[in-house]
Amino acid sequence: MSDHDQAQVHCVLSSKEFSSGAHPVWCPGCGDFGVLAALERGLAKHGRLPHEVVLVSGIGCSSRLPGYMSTYGFHGVHGRALAVASGLKLARPDLEVISVGGDGDGYSIGGNHFIHACRRNIDMLYVVMDNRVYGMTKGQPSPTTEPDWNCDIAPGGIGLRQFNPLAVAITAGANFVARGFSGDPNGLADMIVEGLRWPGFAFIEVMSPCITFRPEQTAWKKQVRPATPSIEPNRAAAAAAALTDNDLSIGVLYRGERAPIAPPAQPQITIGDIEQKFVVGV
Amino acid sequence: MTAGAVFLRAAAHAGYYGLMTQLFGAQVRGGESAALVQIATGPIESPPDCFDIFVALDWEKVEQFAAEIPLDETSVVIADPHAGAIPAAIAKARPRTVSLAMNERQVEKHDNRAGERRVNMVAAGAVAALAGVNVADVRAAIEAIFSGKEAALVAVNIKSAAIGAAAAVGLTINMRLDPPKGAPRWLISGNQAAALGALRGGVRFVGCYPITPATDLVEWLAPHLKKLGGQLVLGEDELAAINMSLGASYGGVPAMTVTSGPGLSLMTETLGLAVAAEIPLVLIDVMRAGPSTGIASKTEQSDVNLAIYGAHGDAPRVVLAPISVADCLTTTEYAVYVAESLQLPVIVLSDQTLGQATTVIDPAIKRPTPLKRRANGVANEKPFKRYALAGEPVTPMPAPGTPGFAWVAEGLTHNEVGLPASGAGAHVAQINKRAKKIQRFDPGVYWGESWGNGEVALLAFGSTIGPAREAARRLAMNGHQIKVIALRVLSPLPMEALARALARVRRVIVVEQNHGAQLYHHLIGRKAIPPSAESVARPGPLPFRPSEIASYVT
Repeated sequence: MSDHDQAQVHCVLSSKEFSSGAHPVWCPGCGDFGVLAALERGLAKHGRLPHEVVLVSGIGCSSRLPGYMSTYGFHGVHGRALAVASGLKLARPDLEVISVGGDGDGYSIGGNHFIHACRRNIDMLYVVMDNRVYGMTKGQPSPTTEPDWNCDIAPGGIGLRQFNPLAVAITAGANFVARGFSGDPNGLADMIVEGLRWPGFAFIEVMSPCITFRPEQTAWKKQVRPATPSIEPNRAAAAAAALTDNDLSIGVLYRGERAPIAPPAQPQITIGDIEQKFVVGV
Repeated sequence: MTAGAVFLRAAAHAGYYGLMTQLFGAQVRGGESAALVQIATGPIESPPDCFDIFVALDWEKVEQFAAEIPLDETSVVIADPHAGAIPAAIAKARPRTVSLAMNERQVEKHDNRAGERRVNMVAAGAVAALAGVNVADVRAAIEAIFSGKEAALVAVNIKSAAIGAAAAVGLTINMRLDPPKGAPRWLISGNQAAALGALRGGVRFVGCYPITPATDLVEWLAPHLKKLGGQLVLGEDELAAINMSLGASYGGVPAMTVTSGPGLSLMTETLGLAVAAEIPLVLIDVMRAGPSTGIASKTEQSDVNLAIYGAHGDAPRVVLAPISVADCLTTTEYAVYVAESLQLPVIVLSDQTLGQATTVIDPAIKRPTPLKRRANGVANEKPFKRYALAGEPVTPMPAPGTPGFAWVAEGLTHNEVGLPASGAGAHVAQINKRAKKIQRFDPGVYWGESWGNGEVALLAFGSTIGPAREAARRLAMNGHQIKVIALRVLSPLPMEALARALARVRRVIVVEQNHGAQLYHHLIGRKAIPPSAESVARPGPLPFRPSEIASYVT
């Protein structure tokens, strides 16, 4: 695998080459299996070799994903995946950097980094596996949980307005914003390829059911439907669409034209030049 | 502030050594401030007990600075008669007072900006003349500081300084220094020196967030790093700053973050990650007075505990402290090499007194031997064991993009491959692996420095070393032989080097600028100093004066 040169890549990579073979900790039937499969298929289709790809995650069920792939990975602390990924991509623009995680990791503890990653518009992909619950800690409401969802920590429901990640991403400056569904790994794989190839910060919010704490989410399979096919190139209109849709439409909501951050320039000076500025006296 | 900078640079241009610290009020922009300048024929590393000359451009809110500008009966206060009576806070030291009209319209005003600056330059010119610095050096300093400004403004400033120098001739004040031994030297601040040290060490990525008194370090770095082909990124908060730096370092680019106490508190979570995932990182903490937001612009040495122990779990790291303003350069360069070679975070504990002091140094500073990251793995090892337990505790960490070695940097307890593991075996083994890196770390000559041979030793770190050395010099003149031990490596403690330094010492006095005697307890706890050791610990923001330390010793 590692001996293939770039010219051969497009015809020889298979999704299996992106699997580490490690057994996921996820519950049988977890939506994240579909996202893992979609990432493997999408990356095989995209054509970058596994060692040229880095998956960066935070903490939570879905953040375990980097260990299940054969790429490089970074499993950091809770909520900081986008900051790690941003530093990595800025320092190593030659790498394909993908950040992955869950709704609690990305929208709650990592919410500030999410906003500023959209603003910064670094050329990378962010995939959130949103199951509207904290699964690893056994079922607490996340920012995307419905206000009336009953649970131990918030009897009768948390009573808060749901966070709208798509609207936030579009208004904060993300360059590619889409919603996918883990129950459609092939469609999601295509969406991942498109996000990887679109310049700037690409964000894909994936509906990924938690069958253990949110078993009612298995009904999403019947409820999802394609988003309005007309792609919104207008940020304000796309934001309006994100605010008015009912969280069940699948597709690309926005493709922007913002230029991503340019890679660092070649050195123009030496450290000796800098040192000369301190010289004083005879 | 500009007057102080002109005087310092003029003295440096003439061949003197010098040191300037600055005091600011709580204003956001403009307002009252003071520049404290010392010049001498030899290097200066300590604040004085008293200042010889105090020049008042006005007396507004001077009370807030009085404690930081010690004066006595031998001091001279030069004040403009238009500024009014000398306030009690200054007059109580009973200094000699001299009137000098600096605020009169001796210079034709070209515009308001030129007019504003004129008074400062009259003062700078007068003080320079009193010290024996000639007009040509003052002129050179003004041209350097105002380079890029309009010619008329520069001319007005030069003319104003000349007027001040002429006026000084009429003053009966004798404070001329001996002629200097001139040589090409550097005029540099501690923060600039630390930044340059990082660049020399190979740092090419800096993630940061604004915080006083560390901001001027990264502001100086930003354009230079860019021209060197590196990057400085302003994060959305300190959490982003350190995680961005860690991401860049994981990518193979030596990286650093820069902060002060409140930022370090936020960054401790990721310090633990850097320890667990074994990723090199340099963190400069320019300490300020705490806890909480404390005093943003003033100094203290109270982050010792946080730097050495901050983070949950067993998270050993290396903590260094510069031993002078100039040594910010050496210590930070060394910090990069230690971080890269041991694959762990290294904290450089600077402080506001070191960082924001501008000083004249001899540039021929000894440079540490470069150490590199161990990057190459064993070919065809399947799977690649990033956290291998057999062999050396520092294991290869190939950069992403290297074929055949894909690995996951893991903050969870992990096995040799890097996959999460919750069993006792992997947990204990990996903790031992990381501990072993620290145990094997030998700083050699970089452990610290010591001067003198007395049976009484002053043990200090950071900005406390300067006044401790000055105290020892004065005590030596009175027949007391005092040894001064400056600790550069605060953790892990250089036990053998310390034992050697303390071999003939009967009385150890640990001097530090915090209330809790943090370094003292660290040294006692590690049995690096005897139980009889004494502690001189008090909080900032006032710097230690040599006389304060000397009077404790005797």
